[in-house]
This record gives sequence, C-alpha cells and structure tokens, in this order.
Amino acid sequence: MRCLRPPVTNVTARRPAMHLVLRPFLRRIFGLVMLALTGCSQPTAETTIRVWSHQGQESENRALRAIADRFNAAHADRGWRVELNFFPDYQYTEKIAIAAAAHDLPDAFDIDGPLLARYVDARLLAPLDPWFTAGERADFLPTIIAQGTIGGKLYALGAFDSATVLYFDRERLARAGVTPPADGGSWTWAEFLAAAATLKTHGDAPLSMHFNEAADEWYTYAFSPVIWSGGGALISSDGTTVRGILASAANVRSLQQWQQVFTRGFAGTDPVDPDPFGSGTVAMDWSGHWMARSHLAKKGARLGVMPLPRIGGKGAAPCGSWCWGISARARDPAAAAAWVRWVTDAHEGIVPIVEANGAVPARRSAMAAFPEYATPPYRVFREQLEQSARPRPHTPHYATLSREFAAALRDIARGADVLQRLQRAEDDVQRVIDRRRQQPSLSSANGGPPR
Amino acid sequence: MTAWRKTDARAAGFFLAPALTLLAVFAVWPLARALGWSVTHADLLAPDGQPWAGLTHYSELVGDARFRRAFGNTALFALFVVPIQTVVAFFLALWVNRPEPAWRWLRSVFFIPTIIAMPVLAVLWTMLYQPVQGDAMGLVNAGLSVVGITPQAWLREPHLALPALAFMSVWQGVGLQMMVFLAGLQNVPRETLEAARIDGAGPWQRTWHVTVPALRNTIIFVVTVTTILAFRLFVQPYLMTRGGPGDATRSIVQAIYETTFLSQELGRACAAMFLFLGLVAFITLLQRRLWREERT
Repeated sequence: MRCLRPPVTNVTARRPAMHLVLRPFLRRIFGLVMLALTGCSQPTAETTIRVWSHQGQESENRALRAIADRFNAAHADRGWRVELNFFPDYQYTEKIAIAAAAHDLPDAFDIDGPLLARYVDARLLAPLDPWFTAGERADFLPTIIAQGTIGGKLYALGAFDSATVLYFDRERLARAGVTPPADGGSWTWAEFLAAAATLKTHGDAPLSMHFNEAADEWYTYAFSPVIWSGGGALISSDGTTVRGILASAANVRSLQQWQQVFTRGFAGTDPVDPDPFGSGTVAMDWSGHWMARSHLAKKGARLGVMPLPRIGGKGAAPCGSWCWGISARARDPAAAAAWVRWVTDAHEGIVPIVEANGAVPARRSAMAAFPEYATPPYRVFREQLEQSARPRPHTPHYATLSREFAAALRDIARGADVLQRLQRAEDDVQRVIDRRRQQPSLSSANGGPPR
Repeated sequence: MTAWRKTDARAAGFFLAPALTLLAVFAVWPLARALGWSVTHADLLAPDGQPWAGLTHYSELVGDARFRRAFGNTALFALFVVPIQTVVAFFLALWVNRPEPAWRWLRSVFFIPTIIAMPVLAVLWTMLYQPVQGDAMGLVNAGLSVVGITPQAWLREPHLALPALAFMSVWQGVGLQMMVFLAGLQNVPRETLEAARIDGAGPWQRTWHVTVPALRNTIIFVVTVTTILAFRLFVQPYLMTRGGPGDATRSIVQAIYETTFLSQELGRACAAMFLFLGLVAFITLLQRRLWREERT
C-alpha cells in the first residue's frame, strides 16, 4: 500500500477530542492499527521499492531474499531499499490482477511469460528499453528477448528460461534394440512412434507425458511444439483471431499423430506417479529442465536426452518462464529498473537463483558459471533455446487460449475426435475474443498497437 | 420514561453499530460495486470508468449455450447430491445415535472427510477413480471388477463424470449433515417414541410418524444448506476434471472464475454472479415456501 496518509501521530493530533477518550495504551494500539492499514513506516529519506514475486521452491525464495539483501546493501548510499513480498504461485496471477484494479501494483514484479501481453495491453508496464544497453540485451538468450518484446518494445526480462526435452534411459532402449538419434539430433514422429512400439513389444512401458499435471499450462507449454513443428499455429501472429488457425488441417494432422501416443498405449492418460521415469516405470520422459538434476542423480551415465520429436521437417521447442517487469506507475522508475537490472545481472541475480532452482541461465555471460552446460542434458537445453525454441503466442487472450487448448489436448489424448474437438476449442476461444473486441476496454484488440 | 427510551435507543445504536458497519463494508458495499460493474464493460485490470453496457451481459449470458450448460451441470449436481446426502445423513444419524462410547468412534469416522481439505480429497479420489492404465487401475474399478462390473473411466466419460463427482461429494459432506441430524435427534421426545412402541408401531412407523415430523425444522435446515453448498460446486471438478471432458462438469462457479480471471471480463462475471445469486436465492425461498418451518 502506498504512503498516502499523513504520519500516524498527526492523525490523532488533528482530533483533540480523541485524546480525552483514548488512554495512552489505546492510542498506541490505534497507532499500530493505522500503521498496519496504511503500511507506512516512519518517513525517512529512503526510497522503498515494492517488489512482488511468486513463491517458488523454498531454496528459490531464500535465494531471492538474499539477492534483495545484497541489493539493499549495495544501494544503501542512494537510499534504495527493496521490500520483497512473496505470494503463493496458484494465486499470484489473481493477486496481480486485483492489485492492478486497485491501482496498487508494486513497483516491480515478476510475471509469468505468456501473460505479459495482457499486462502490456492494459498499460500496466513500463518499457525496459531505456534501462538496458543494446550490448546488455544481446547478452540475453534470444528466447528471453522474444518473450519480453511486444510491439517492438522490451517489457520484461527473466533471470532464467525453461527447456523441455525427451529424456531416455540408454540401457532400456538398447535392451529393446532401439537406437537413439545421433548426438544433438531428434526423431521424426514416425521414428518416435516406432521406438515406442518396439519398447512396448519388449514389455517396457515407453513414455511419460505427465498427464497427472492439473495446471492447464503444462499442456499448452509442453505440446505447442507439436503444433509448431507441424507447420501450424495456435493463433494469428497479431494475436487477434484463432478462426481457421487453431483447427487448421495442419494442426489436425499433427494432433492426430500426437494422439497415437495415447491411443496406442505408449503413455498414460491418467497416471498417478508424478515421476515414472525416475522411479523406473517408463523408458522415456517428455519433461522439462526441472527434472534434469533428479534424473541425472538417479540414472547417471544411463541418462540420454534429445530434442522433442518433430512432426514436420523442423523441430520446435518450448521456452519461457517468470520474468521481471516495472509498473507503469512505479514511484521511482530508476530505482525499480535498478532492481530488474540487479536480479537479471549475471553475477548478482542469475547465478544465485539458477543455483537454487536449476533453470537455464538467461544470459550467455552467466553460462560460464555453470560448467554442466558443456555436456548434455544441459547443452541440449541451451542449444534448443538458441536455435529452435519459441515463446508461446503473444496475445492478450492468452489465458483463455491456453485453457481451451489444454482442455482440447486432454480430451484428444483420451480419444476425442481431433477435428471436432479443435473446432470446438476454436469456437470457444473466438467467441471470447469477439466479445472482448467489441468492448472498448481492451485496446489492442480493437486494432491499435500496444503502447 | 421517554428519557429512558432515548438512552435505550442510543444504546441499541451503539450495540448495532459494529455489526452494521461490518455488514455495510463487507457485504453491502461490495455487492453494490459488483452490481455497478455488471452493467458496464468493466475490465478486471481497469474496472472503473468503462463504457455503459446496460443489461447486455445479462441477456448475453442467458442466451450463451456454454453458460447455460454450466447452469445445467450445477443444477444436475444439486439434484444428485441434495436428496441423496440428506437421506443418507438422516439414516446414518439414526444408526449412530447410541450412547455407548464405541459409537462415538464411528461418528468421528463419518465426520472425518468433512474436516479434510478438499484438494487433498480431490487427489485421493482421482486415484480411487483411476481407469485402467497398463496393468494398474484405481480401487473403485478394482472393487467393481471383483463383482463382475467392467472398469470405467469414471472421470473421463461425459455421462459418468458428474455422477462420479456427486458421489465423492456426498461421501465428503454427509458427515456434517449427519451431525446436524444427530443434534436434532436429541430433541425427539423419548416419551412419544415409547408410547408409539407400546401402541405397536414398528421401527419404520416410529421413524416415519414420530422422528421425521419431530425433525422437520432440522430437515428443512439440512436441505437448504446442502442446496446452497451444492450450487457452490467448484473445487472438486476444477481439480479433478478441470470442467471436462468437454464441458461435462464445468460448474457455474468455474464459469464465473474463468470469466473473471482468464478472459478478465469483470462486468460479465459480475452479471453472471448476480444471475447465480438470484437463482440460489429463488430456490432457497421456494423451498422455504413449500416447506414452512414450524416455530414454537
């Protein structure tokens, strides 16, 4: 909350009658309540930078707190002080929306990458371009820049990125006579299905696709590459229509091939085990960088990794993660930008946070601190982000799109007709887009470019 | 006398003030704001100062097939849950209404699901309902296959998903209603039951002609509360099926949630909320009218 109210002592002083009623201890309590309500500390020369973050794993939260402490120590001479608040992951996005409605956004906050377009559209964010030199921007992975750039302006930068690959158990593949592609190469979809079929005939459960995930975002994130590699898209490049795009012939063909993974029993549609690859139940795992440490610890040299299988000629990979932006109403934009610079600085921000959460460092200069990026699986993560990964679509309607696409994917995996289900998703998304475009409140949906 | 009354009125004002203030701040004011937004194109990220929409949202919602489906699902869920849960809770209460300490344990056992957080139960029941996956299947299917019933994909079949969620919800909620009935049973006059027994009434007749009429107000309370709770269905389908397959288990509350936080059409979401509020109020009033509480 902002310090819009006068200092506590003045509040009681302006009402002399209250002194007669309020005994000293009551007054103290009243003062404390007012302090809690206004959230103001005693006025000092200090500039408090309000920063919000989603709550990650505890190690990650600890690392971010330490980063903030070091920021405060380093900027004490300028009087800049970060006040860091965490909110649970599952309600963080709602929290941001409600704060925006109440004009109570913090000065800087982290944002889930694909939701950025909506915040930019609602003019909640200030561009970061003035605060980062071209040289600095070039140090970031291209996916981080692509994720944060909307309408030609950079609105957010992350300290880390994500990668998803196909992990496999070398021994189990060899036992079934399945040969993985050469180092760095990937399977075509036909090769992938053939490998799974061979594993199955050898009595091995082939694959985990993590259908125990409750969150919609896993499905959109992990399986959009199937759409992209088949030459399709989820939404038009300007983010305003899915008509003829989401249920296109290319997408139907791609998802029909994807569906076979489930209809032929290669992966479970209702698994209970969250990590069947780690526990040795399945031979391959369609999963993210976040499993790399655990898989390496369990499998050692047996762990193999390859880019996701491709439907068309060219492979595709997902990317994107949490990134930092500055509120358009930040009280001291320079101070807020200093925090974003600090938390995305290779040494001060990226190294400690990546050590804690195991994600892919967002800057090339930070990679040097992580020698594991010279060998797989980490090398594959980096190569993928440098070459074949693309962010989820930039559209203010992303949340609706992702929800409907994920629901369609779940139904398709469980046997729904691909064309019918995609058409339905297309209708459901388009109806929301059309409605929002009629409402003047959503600016760019009416054709105007986001500011 | 007048002076005394004046002080009295002032005292009443003092005592009422905290409650009225809280009510105004936390109920009346938010409802008034929401009503205001429901007639504009309020956007979640910029709710105020948006153009006037009149009753557009209301008329669109009434004509929207997806929203009507959500209404239908929720009503169907309530239709499953309210009668079954009330009847089961009633008979459970009759069964465990015994003074011996051993029965206290059984009462606790029935009550336990109501105090466990719904997300935990959602995970548990997703596992119980698990369809055949390779050589594994959930306990429900395993149990049914013992008696020769083919395993089903309970949460994945459009016609089975809602009943499966309703069954789980009855299991979860029945303990609370059972407790309410148990409390009511303490007020059934023993003398009347004794007299009925002496007059030759069997257990069924005693239940139907003595216990049920004596529990009339309790039953009305249980039915009303269960109806309201059933209409608020959200967590079970949201965590177990995400409203799927298709829209088979999408509830009104999920539709409102998605309109608020995904498409962020606050005006439309508020209109949906008022339609929902109106429906629940209407059903509750109808129940009360049909089945008036007896006051002594």
